[in-house]
Amino acid sequence: MSEKIITTEKLFKRYPVGDGEFTALNDINLTFDKGEFSGIIGPSGSGKTTLLNILGSLDSPTEGRATVLGHPISSLSHKEAAQLRNKHIGFIFQVYNLLPVYTVFENVEFALLLQNRSASERKKEVMQALEWVGLENMANKKPSKLSGGEGQRVAIARAMVKRPDLVLADEPTANLDAKNAHAILQTMKKLNEELNTTFIFATHDEKVMGYLNRLIHLEDGKVAKDEIVTAKTV
Amino acid sequence: MKLAFHLAYKNLMGAGLRTWLNAGVLSFAFVVIIFYNALIDGWNQQAKIDGINWQYGYGHLVNDNYDAYDAFSIKDGHGELPESKQKNLTPILIQQGNLYPNGRMMSILIKGIDPNQGILLLPTQLLNDSKAEIPVIIGKRMSESAKVKTGDEFLLRWRDKNGTYDAATVTVAGVFETNVPFVDSRQIWMSIDKLRKLTLLHNKTTYFVANEQYKYESAPGWRFEDQEYLMREQTRLINAKKVGGSIFYVLLMTLSLLAIFDTQVLSIFRRQKEIGTYIALGMTRWQVVRIFTAEGAMYSVFATVLGAIYGIPLMWYLSITGISFGADGGEMGVIISETLYPVYGMGLIFGTILLVILSATIVSFLPARKIARMNPVEALKGKIS
Repeated sequence: MSEKIITTEKLFKRYPVGDGEFTALNDINLTFDKGEFSGIIGPSGSGKTTLLNILGSLDSPTEGRATVLGHPISSLSHKEAAQLRNKHIGFIFQVYNLLPVYTVFENVEFALLLQNRSASERKKEVMQALEWVGLENMANKKPSKLSGGEGQRVAIARAMVKRPDLVLADEPTANLDAKNAHAILQTMKKLNEELNTTFIFATHDEKVMGYLNRLIHLEDGKVAKDEIVTAKTV
Repeated sequence: MKLAFHLAYKNLMGAGLRTWLNAGVLSFAFVVIIFYNALIDGWNQQAKIDGINWQYGYGHLVNDNYDAYDAFSIKDGHGELPESKQKNLTPILIQQGNLYPNGRMMSILIKGIDPNQGILLLPTQLLNDSKAEIPVIIGKRMSESAKVKTGDEFLLRWRDKNGTYDAATVTVAGVFETNVPFVDSRQIWMSIDKLRKLTLLHNKTTYFVANEQYKYESAPGWRFEDQEYLMREQTRLINAKKVGGSIFYVLLMTLSLLAIFDTQVLSIFRRQKEIGTYIALGMTRWQVVRIFTAEGAMYSVFATVLGAIYGIPLMWYLSITGISFGADGGEMGVIISETLYPVYGMGLIFGTILLVILSATIVSFLPARKIARMNPVEALKGKIS
């Protein structure tokens, strides 16, 4: 039986706009199993990123319930939410969000520093993560010296180094050319298969969709379609 | 906290020139504060030593009728102290008189002192060595204002205890140089026995200067003024200078701390995505506040190191050569030497370091508090204005 790691029930997110309010998420009821390689897809403004932020405990719903790895997001304190992200969730962003003054190694190491791991353990894990993404020879480079594809691969290594249960990737290929996009998608797919890490993407990129096993279509904040699809294999 | 300092260090080193500009400005304020205070302390110390050596000794036993600030008290401000109570004391008698050097007239104080005294640095031995009828010693300021030098003779006029005018020719037995204008300007020193004889004030004394061994015993008609009391005006002046100086360095500190504050405000605005990323990676908001606060505090640590690099050799050099202001205390009525030597106390240095670190930490914390209220989603988008 598959293990459910995320559940949302009657999830709403509303923002005040002028005198009224804008509903970004409207009655979202979803479950995600461990090891899924799923995508929340839809046009800009459909609520993809908002849903991802709630699942990542960066934001909280206005109404309804979201449970991630057994933690009810709405009732987490800042500290508890930080711990959840630190231990169990990896983020990959559209613009990589690498820390510019750190080297590739230090960027990847950051997540482990927050976990107070020993220096030797950190070194071992960081090199392993860089090996997964094929950047073990670039450990001492600064992000400014990397290409877009390399930068995103560092971001993947940073998200994966702590071996999280869940990786949330927001438009990870939006700034990449087709070749690099396929390369990083293959890397993520491989890690998903090898480590059984759950990946949830927010995307409207056709290339990404080709790799996903499940597509959740969002339209105006509502789930329009939730389909299981046959994905490319690596 | 270790992590905050580790990350702050990396961020500051990564920021390059911006970091060193801030640290440079702060280090300048830091060095100036230490130097200015050290100069005042040096002056204070020098003034105290000079004051004790030339004027105050270890206190004055003063006749009750004499008030140093009242010229009218000079005439009758003297008395007799039993011989038994004069142990470890050097008597000084003061009377008013007129000098006629080179045809001019100058109102002066005639001070009589025991030529064999060893408490004050006044070269009174010259009074014993001179073969002149009435030898006197004068200070350099007096010598310059009266335009007389060693060996010169001039007419001195005074009144004896009965008010009768008398006059005699006196000879300059020596000219001494001192930083203490109160034993120099508009006065001449002669043997107290001679002055007592000239004024008919036998055994009379205006005040006694105590040596280190002197133990005060109450004596009717006499009051004891200790060093602290005698130096009160000088201390007050130096304290006033310190207050004036503190305004100057508060201004300097404000300017440099403003630079840090400004950098922090700009930094928090410019580095929103970085802040959002820290939070997304699992830091609490207060952990991020600590990083930014540590960055500000670290500016002061860098400033300390930078200040030490150029400040220590500079201050060491100035403590040896001193700084010449060409000041004459006689004109200002204070004890001040031409060359001041700064004195760097440990308390001053560590106190200033602590002050700079604390202030830099506080001004960094103030804008960093904003992070605690930041919405991480907005921060990641870089949309906080």
